Amino acid sequence: MNSIIPAPILRQPWQMLIPLFLLVGFGGAVLYSASGGHMQPYATSHLLRFAIFLGMASMMTWFPRDFVKLMAYPAYIAVMLLLVAVEAMGAIGGGSQRWLDLGFMQLQPSELMKPVIVLVLARFYDSLPAGMVPTWRSLIPAGVLIGLPMLLVLIQPDLGTALAIGFGGVVIMFLAGLPMRWFVGAGAAAAAAIPIAYIFVLKDYQRRRVTTFLDPESDPLGAGYHITQSKIAIGSGGFFGKGFNNGSQSHLDYLPEPHTDFVFATMAEEWGFLGGMFVLAVFALILGWGIGVAKRAPDRFSRLLAFGMVATMFFYVAINLMMVMGLAPVVGIPLPFMSHGGSSMMTNMICVGTLMMVNVWSRKAGQRGID
Amino acid sequence: MTAMTVSTAISLGRVQLAHIRFRTLNTARQRLLWVAILFALVAALAIGRIAWLGSSDRTATATSLEEALLPPRGEITDRNGVPLARAFPAYALWFNPRAMGESGSALVKSPQEVAHALKQIFPDIDEKAMAERLASGKPGYLRRRVLPEDANKVMDIGELALEMPRETDRHYPQGRLAAHVLGYVDSDGHGKLGMEQVLDDRLSDPATRGQPVSLSIDLRVQGALEDELRKGMLSTNAEGAAGIVLDADTGEVLALASLPEFDPNRVEPGDLVLTPQEAKNGYFPKAFNRVTNQVYELGSTFKPITIAAAIDAGVVRDFGKRYDASPVQMGRFTIKDSHAMGATLNVPETLIHSSNTVSARIADELGGEKLRGTLIDLGMNQRPYIELTGRGFPIWPGKDWPRLRTMTVGFGHGIAVTPLHLASAYAALVNGGIWRPATLYKLDPDQVPRGRRVFKASTSSRMRQLLRMIALDGTGRSANAPGFRVGGKTGSAEKPGSHGYRHHTLVSTFAAAFPMDRPRYVVVAMLDEPKGTVASSFQRTAAFNAAPVVGRLVPRIGPVLGVRPDATRDIDLSDLRPLVPHGGSGE
Repeated sequence: MNSIIPAPILRQPWQMLIPLFLLVGFGGAVLYSASGGHMQPYATSHLLRFAIFLGMASMMTWFPRDFVKLMAYPAYIAVMLLLVAVEAMGAIGGGSQRWLDLGFMQLQPSELMKPVIVLVLARFYDSLPAGMVPTWRSLIPAGVLIGLPMLLVLIQPDLGTALAIGFGGVVIMFLAGLPMRWFVGAGAAAAAAIPIAYIFVLKDYQRRRVTTFLDPESDPLGAGYHITQSKIAIGSGGFFGKGFNNGSQSHLDYLPEPHTDFVFATMAEEWGFLGGMFVLAVFALILGWGIGVAKRAPDRFSRLLAFGMVATMFFYVAINLMMVMGLAPVVGIPLPFMSHGGSSMMTNMICVGTLMMVNVWSRKAGQRGID
Repeated sequence: MTAMTVSTAISLGRVQLAHIRFRTLNTARQRLLWVAILFALVAALAIGRIAWLGSSDRTATATSLEEALLPPRGEITDRNGVPLARAFPAYALWFNPRAMGESGSALVKSPQEVAHALKQIFPDIDEKAMAERLASGKPGYLRRRVLPEDANKVMDIGELALEMPRETDRHYPQGRLAAHVLGYVDSDGHGKLGMEQVLDDRLSDPATRGQPVSLSIDLRVQGALEDELRKGMLSTNAEGAAGIVLDADTGEVLALASLPEFDPNRVEPGDLVLTPQEAKNGYFPKAFNRVTNQVYELGSTFKPITIAAAIDAGVVRDFGKRYDASPVQMGRFTIKDSHAMGATLNVPETLIHSSNTVSARIADELGGEKLRGTLIDLGMNQRPYIELTGRGFPIWPGKDWPRLRTMTVGFGHGIAVTPLHLASAYAALVNGGIWRPATLYKLDPDQVPRGRRVFKASTSSRMRQLLRMIALDGTGRSANAPGFRVGGKTGSAEKPGSHGYRHHTLVSTFAAAFPMDRPRYVVVAMLDEPKGTVASSFQRTAAFNAAPVVGRLVPRIGPVLGVRPDATRDIDLSDLRPLVPHGGSGE
């Protein structure tokens, strides 16, 4: 195609990048409002980090497939060591610590584990012969690969991230073609275990958290406070919202964490149903593009890798939205590209970068495909 | 052979491998579809939820600041703005056994110690029962109302389980005053009885409750009325008393009292419901409003109405005409006077001496139909006109009165109405002949109802003269407060019991208006079953108990209401006074 625009620029996946830029810009505007109409302290660093990690993502597209395959296990081991190190520092420092200070941001190794678990499981199932997939040999090593980091993160304790790691891993196992009856069986066992655990295992305060989630209005000033205020914020936005910089719930500090976990509520109060639809539409575009990349991927490894990244991002979005709308318990998972926070921005940009990388691989593989 | 086998095995393996690959790819596509469906479902759920949160008001019903600053219930004031009922933040004492956590003891000290400490603050509590209550570990109110200084003392006990929640209470700063007019607020926050019930919606509605409601009551008049009625009731050992002060020209109720009363700040169950024994003895609950809800045969106070109807109809034209005063024989009934008043009486003498026989004869001459029409015009065939909910229905004789019924109604028997009916009728008698509904709302001059004409103005001016003459020369002399030109009529009716009239239980009433040269206020005072005591000269009739109540009341309320005592002014009686030899008396 002849064009005045150079080919390398035209090649970029603009159908994903433009919505992503809009979303990050919108996130910056919401953070500007959340800090009372100032760029500091949230909006500037939000945009700055996006620029840094966008550079990182574009560098990732240069990685060849074999190099990524080769680095899968070393990367997993490295992140595991970081997790243990954080745990050890916490134990020595006499308090729970989840991050390492890198200067411009605080790195949470558990965040890094989310894309890395996808990478290592994709590598594992790629190397597993197709005939061995329905046997226990496909399950046990993968289970160990998922279980170890989940356990370390649970000790921190960070239930939300542990669940995100587990979800990413289980999605890879599901797509790798493990027998359906295992998933159904595990699901049935979990469903049977929940009421038993609720009655016999959970302590009173834990039970109260569950009942609070089911009925936040039962304790609107205590455990149900977050959910109730968030729902008031979203509900009071109406169709068009209260207008930019006019959200009383966030500005008057009714809404907890208006710039991180509950950023969607902050947004919905000021931008209303329309703003909510915009955010959901952008996520649909980005994730849909990711699914397309996964489907066009040249081989099993890159397909599993790409889809695992989409699932990881999806898990963030889904849990966060359900949490702020009162459909899921409060577990502390930020909204990708909108919440203020370096680690989640990094994780999500790694996911985006990986998808762009797989996109490059399938372009280089050309038309020949491998079906 | 061997080679064949090998080659077959290899080719078979290839086929199998291709089969596995196909199956795997198929599974992968299916699985991808499943996950994509899950994504789509979550997205749909999120969209639906946002729309629901945005469109439903349920989650976003925050209390507005404006509403929070309003009183929880509107104020009621008297006509001069003095508060009669107001919202009042109060403390309660609540026992919360979980204040110190789910498990373990609810109290720091032993229940006995805490109960003892509470006993020091609230001497009326039962210490033992309180200790058992605290030991039981059940949450609940220990006391509904606690004074602020007592609340501080409870805090000093240092028990977290003793909580002092703030509750809004209804406070009646005037205590028992005007209790029947105001009513009270029940524990659910709804008004009961009185104007609290009538105005419940308006006092609760955020749009209107910021503005106090002004009643027609004048607190100073109400206080004087209750004070004088109570004195009269206690000094004659009466069962109860009722009184009303009515503006003759507008129908506004300036004071309305029913005794014994209740305390709206502290309503007891016994105020509302009677024991079967009390009900059998004919008592009323204290919350029962005798002025508007109880009907009485009001006896002789009806005679001026009969005379006025007769003057209005042209039946009585000559005030000097003498009527036969001998007993009236009607079938097996005989209408007699309480004592001999002479063989013949003229109209002024009839009222001054309160003659049953002449009243009956004049009523007979007037005819049942005309008398009945006048009483209907005065609203006596319906419940009284007032805002209150408790309004008694009169015992009304219906249509086509026989002669005897016309005669008995002529002197106030065979018909029973409330004291409020009587007050409204007297207002029409003296104000120029216009009947107006009574109201408990303060009226602006432009809000005064036009009313309906019952009597001609000339009839009304005659009635002023006649009523004034009763107070000057007749049974109402003890109501004649010097300088206030009181005029009025006594009435002492026997109360009906289970075996006909009980001759020694009376309802004595004095219905009056002042000042008679330009009547502005109607006063009705009624005593239920007064006894003969030293204070009433061992008499039970109205001249000795109800009339003195009015005589003491008028000098107290007159100056407050702008009526100054003036011995140089009075209504002109020069045409009627010569018809009456001075010094008559009777009932």
